[in-house]
Amino acid sequence: MQGVLGAFRELDSAVHAIEDLKKDRVGDITVFTPTPRHEFDHVMGHPASKVRVYTLIFGLAGVTFGYWIPVWISDYWPLVVGGKPIASWVPFTILGFEVMVLIGGLATVFAMFGFAGIPRLTTTVGYDPRFSGGHFGVWVEADPDRVDDAMNILKKHGAEEVRRER
Amino acid sequence: MATSALPTGQRPNVPTAAVKFPAIKSYEQVDADIAGTLGPSLGWFAALGIAILCMLIGAAAWTYQIHEGLGAAGYQPPVMWGVYIVTFVFWVGIGHAGTLISAILYLFRAGFRTSIYRVSEAMTVFAVMTAGLFPILHLGRPWKFFYLIPYPNWRLIWPNPKSPLVWDVFAILTYLTISSTFLYIGLIPDIAILRDREKNPIRKSILAQLSLGWRNSDREWRHFTRAYLFLAAFATPLVLSVHSVVSFDFAMALTPGWHATIFPPYFVAGAIFSGIGMVFTIALPLRKAFKLEHYITLNDIDAAAKLCLFTSTVVGLAYLTEFQVAWMSGNRFEQDYFWNRVFGQWAWAAWIMLICNCVLPLSLWSQNLRRNPVWLFILSLFINLGMWFERFVIVVPSLAHEFEPWQWGTYRPTFVDYSILLGSFGWFFMWFLLFIKQLPVMAMSEIKEILLPRMSTQFNHSHDLPEGIDFPDETGKVH
Repeated sequence: MQGVLGAFRELDSAVHAIEDLKKDRVGDITVFTPTPRHEFDHVMGHPASKVRVYTLIFGLAGVTFGYWIPVWISDYWPLVVGGKPIASWVPFTILGFEVMVLIGGLATVFAMFGFAGIPRLTTTVGYDPRFSGGHFGVWVEADPDRVDDAMNILKKHGAEEVRRER
Repeated sequence: MATSALPTGQRPNVPTAAVKFPAIKSYEQVDADIAGTLGPSLGWFAALGIAILCMLIGAAAWTYQIHEGLGAAGYQPPVMWGVYIVTFVFWVGIGHAGTLISAILYLFRAGFRTSIYRVSEAMTVFAVMTAGLFPILHLGRPWKFFYLIPYPNWRLIWPNPKSPLVWDVFAILTYLTISSTFLYIGLIPDIAILRDREKNPIRKSILAQLSLGWRNSDREWRHFTRAYLFLAAFATPLVLSVHSVVSFDFAMALTPGWHATIFPPYFVAGAIFSGIGMVFTIALPLRKAFKLEHYITLNDIDAAAKLCLFTSTVVGLAYLTEFQVAWMSGNRFEQDYFWNRVFGQWAWAAWIMLICNCVLPLSLWSQNLRRNPVWLFILSLFINLGMWFERFVIVVPSLAHEFEPWQWGTYRPTFVDYSILLGSFGWFFMWFLLFIKQLPVMAMSEIKEILLPRMSTQFNHSHDLPEGIDFPDETGKVH
């Protein structure tokens, strides 16, 4: 993996640089931002996260499992309580709900980990500690023959520092 | 602190998403200010020492109780639930405000949550951890605690999934897991900030592992923000369900004073009220000690105080409704019980509850008092006291005054009960104090989200705006 990294102090400069990089099709772009900014969502044009699909699927699986647990337990000890059926869905709804939240919530987190590519062992290539502080970063994964183009675009838009990395 | 300097009539009254931090000028200042709170101080060591001492007193009392048996704790028929269950419900209630502030107020876009939600979330996790000790402390043989976990087993113990005590296990464990996850997920970007600033290699390595290699990339933020939203959406009904389930522990019984359909909303409102009280108890001294007045602004405190006032009135209404239900029911046992609660044997406890929870919070109708941190701190101590007594008034008088006169009795907690109560506060504050010196007490990346980003000086909004992209102007407004 090789490319060019630009560090910007200003949000709008970084956005303009990304626009030009995309127009020139220099290479794949990754933006680093200390806090989520909708301007980057617009300019990058990525589709919405699919995390919600996992939330739904595992939430439904969780509620099913949550109902099954008390039914299984009641089947083991088939004692009638208060004249209620052995598998009594009304009180079991509480367990169904709790397990739905538990499994759906954890699945959401693990799906986020999967989509975001974390945990990651190293942050070194294409990252700078300033990007968690106050700077915006633009990393362009470019072929050797396009590296100069990428550097020129980043400099033109006022990048505080532009450097090659591999 | 622009707002505090204004005369009363001109103070903005902003409990909405339109939150501003006028004294915070840059992203770097946020990092420096919040990371600057992490260095341990003499006062912090002293507070930690007191917390550990209190915890050790509780641990010693528990050891004594294990040796002597549960009788050492002052339980005698007919009152077999006392300080332990009261304190269990108290801590579960305290744990509610955290997820309310972090999840429900997040969904409602209530901006004042930003500065206090991290403290509240941490408080939630440690409060539920504290509450979780009490079912174990209440056991004669605590080393057999796993008998409590309801699953079919070979020990000839019948796990009854129609029992509220089984629902409690599921609800509390789910709440603890989801609250801890919510806290940790929100911490990841902030831990990455600390990692990038850290010079000590050992500490840096630990922070690098805890931050999971977070790099603040657009890809990470895109999935993070959606996951956080869905987690908040899941946590919201969970907050409401957990204390409803705790209330079922009482409401499913036929005991006078407990058997009421009003219990779930009554408990949820009480839990939120007590949790906000504890948020004030914790956040206001932190604000002063860490010099964070320009982060936890008077507007934020004002808005949280309004929430406190609102939940106080809901709780007050619930108290009155209980009396009205008993009066209108025509049930002699209910009527007798409620008379005994307020004018009889337990009047002292009931009036502490009513004065602390319903009368004193009425002071919050005054904007001056809502914006007075000293008064709010004092009031929060009364709210904590009042909410502990609310649970005492629910648990003990009902058991001490059931249907037949031969069932009537009394309850006198012993030094073991008081020591374990003290120990629970020591345990809670020990974890909390350790937390605030290891991890940021405020969500740095979320505060940055509210701040205006730096824009290039040459940039002209009217001419240079790229098509389809809206930048904020100098007032923060997006065009």
